[in-house]
Order: sequence, then C-alpha cells, then structure tokens
Amino acid sequence: MVIDGVEVPEDGAPPVDHVGELLQRVAQGDQNAFARLYDMLSPRAFGLILRVLVDRSQSEEVLQEVFLEVWQSAERFAPNRGQGRSWVLTIAHRRAVDRVRSAQSSADRDVRIGFRDLDVAHDGVAEQVELRIEGEKVTTALATLPEAQREALTLAYYGGYSQSEIAALVGAPLGTIKTRMRDGLSRLRTEMGVTS
Amino acid sequence: MNKEEFAELSAGYALNALSPEDLAAFEMTLAEHPEWSGVVAADAATVAALADTAPSTAPPLTLRSTLLSKIATTPQGEAALTESQPAELAEPEPEPYRDPSPTTTTIQAVSRRNWTRGLFGLAASLVLLVGIGVGAVSLNEMLNRSDAVIALDQIEDAPDGQSATVDVIDGGTATAHWSESLGKVVLVSNGLPEVTSDETYEMWFVRDDGTAVSGGTFAATAGSTTELLDGALEPGDTIAVTVEQAGGSTTGAPTTEPIVVIPTA
Repeated sequence: MVIDGVEVPEDGAPPVDHVGELLQRVAQGDQNAFARLYDMLSPRAFGLILRVLVDRSQSEEVLQEVFLEVWQSAERFAPNRGQGRSWVLTIAHRRAVDRVRSAQSSADRDVRIGFRDLDVAHDGVAEQVELRIEGEKVTTALATLPEAQREALTLAYYGGYSQSEIAALVGAPLGTIKTRMRDGLSRLRTEMGVTS
Repeated sequence: MNKEEFAELSAGYALNALSPEDLAAFEMTLAEHPEWSGVVAADAATVAALADTAPSTAPPLTLRSTLLSKIATTPQGEAALTESQPAELAEPEPEPYRDPSPTTTTIQAVSRRNWTRGLFGLAASLVLLVGIGVGAVSLNEMLNRSDAVIALDQIEDAPDGQSATVDVIDGGTATAHWSESLGKVVLVSNGLPEVTSDETYEMWFVRDDGTAVSGGTFAATAGSTTELLDGALEPGDTIAVTVEQAGGSTTGAPTTEPIVVIPTA
C-alpha cells in the first residue's frame, strides 16, 4: 500500500520512502523526479496550505514558494533524519504560517476564527477549528488528548499562532502552553504509533 | 538545558510556534547536542501527520507547468538559496465579489478573470527566468525558412533573447523564445495532443493587467510546430496557449484554461 509516496508494508518491515528517494534525485538536478514529486505531494501540501490560509490565490502562491524551496534546498534533506514526506510537508506548513502572520492575512484569519468578535468565548475557538478536521486516524488520536492540549496543538498548527499568542488567547501562562504542546505531541505520537 | 526542557522547545519548533528568542535557543542547543536530533525528527513526523486532517486538494494545472518552467532555470544548492530568495510578493488583491448564484455566462467570466489575475501574480513575482540560448532548430525547418524560423534566428542573435520550456499536462512540451527588444515571440511545440477538426490551439499575450491579446492560432498536426506570435511582446507579458473552437476564440479572449503558461518576466 502506498500513501502519499510512502510505501506502508503490511508485514511491519521499515517503510520505503519513495519521496525521500525522489528528493535525492531532485538534489542532483533531476527535473523528472521533481515533476513526480510534485504530482505525488502537491494535493496534500495544497490542502494543508489552504487549511491554514483559506484564501485560494494566496495559497497558490505559497504552494509555488514551497516547491521552489524544495527544488533549491533538496540537498539539505537528510534521508536518515525523517521521511521525505514529512520534510516537504514541514516546509509547506512553515511557509503557510509565515504568510498567515503577515499583517493582512492574520487580520483575515482572526476574523475567520472569530477572535475579533468579542462575543466568542475562548473555549469555542479550538472547537471551530476542529469542525474542519477530517483525517480519521489523526482525528481519533486528537480526540484522546485532554482539551487543553488539543487546543494548543490546533491553534498552532491550523491557526498559525505562536506560543505567546496562544498564551494570550487562552489566558494561560506561556510555560503552561509550552508544556501542553510537548505533552500533546508526545501523546499524539503514542496514539498514532508514528515512527520518525 | 536538560533533555526535558529541550523537548518543549522541539515541540514548539515542529509546530512553527516558537518566539524568535526560543527559536535561537532551540538552534543553539541542538548544535550543542546533536544526539537530541531524534527528538526533533520524531516531533516533525508527528506534526506532519496532522497534515492528513486537511482534505487533499488538487492545485490548478497551470501551477505545475509554471513551476516546471521555473525550476528549469532556477539554480540549486546553498548559493542559490542565498542569492535568489523569491522577491517580495505583490500585495494580494481582495477576492472579487461573487454572486451566490451566477449564470453560466458570469461563471465563465469569473473563471477567466481568476486565471488571468493568477498569471499577473506569477509574472510579477518570484524567480526571474535566466536568459539562455535558443534551442536547436531542425534541419528541415532551416531549409524551409518560414517567418517563424527567421524570427527565431533573430531572437537567438538578440542580446536579450531568452527561452523557457514547459511540459504540457496532456503530453508534449512547449518552448517560448522571446526578445523584448525585438518585441517578438516564437512558440515551438513538440508532441502536443492533436485537437479535433472543430478546435484549434490559440496563443495569447497576457498583459500585466490580466487582459489577453490573441497571438494567432495553430494546429498541432505534424507533432512539432514553430509559430511566430502575431503582435508585439510587451515587457511583463505572459505567453499562454488555450484550446479554442476552430478559427479561434470569437470573444477575443481565452475561453478555456490555458495548457501552456510561460511568464517572460
């Protein structure tokens, strides 16, 4: 079974990282490998960027930035440090978050998520974000987290908020938010059985 | 810093949520403790799994050909990263107002406006195409020198002659050769799918403001074509090709999604 370029064997053998192999060819200047990599991962990356940015034309620009960065920096991908798919999606998330933090976008985002509306209670925020979550396995895993940890993760990942912004938004000390993120990720990893 | 404290920084880093100070502390600590990079990789893999919660969404086809033409002229490696950071992107335009239940005509108009506006964004931003030599022309074409082949020679000799090649989704490639000083564009195609007798390929200059000006039509019959676009190239134009009804678009504007998009600036 191949999911987004990662072969997931049913017998428990280590997964084959097709994306990682393509990345190594891209690093050598292989344009065909780049085209295959794009075909394999662009829908997933675009879905993620759209989730964070919402605005379609900005998301298209960011998707281009992401794949240009992949082309330019493929040589930085280290096969023994995580799979190619994670590497590309990490770039996609970082670029989307950078964009959403630019002034206009974050104003749009705040309106979208409802922070500019003073009638919206804080504890409704993460709930709204979660309404749009679909991935079954991750959703199941997220559901097992304590509410406060889930809120910290979703605000950071889908809202693009920094730890200090989240601390201000939910009215908790910064140190508490940091701990919630660490514990939340750690628990999520256990629930999903993620390997690095 | 102990490993527990580092794990907090690593989680925040994986979520892109660190303050600049914490980011600096994270990078410094990781440099001091390379043995902790496993923590960072595990967090990155967990966070990447969160991407699965967003529905996969196919990006517009034009993005693919634009990207492939860009990487063909974009250098790689450390030097490339420091020298050619993408230029500051133009301030995005607000979304156009859309009637909740548009008629067929307005759907077409909106769709056309969207892609021409997208082209404007592409043309105005990101990596510059580097001028490269004009590709070889087949012997057959040299012996039978059409206007297009003569123009191709002129572009090759011009000091500002450039070219860029894109893959076409449904097969084949298209290469635009252009020179701003000559104001000429020649489009060379190879292996484009044949269109039906009711259809034709139409070439366009897409101006900075998103308006499209026809550069004439051609049929992909012999597998390879060399066409001089009618009309003059203007700085910042994007060259596009669409499939139109035989004789070309009757509205004077593209009516379908372009299969080729090549920014000249």
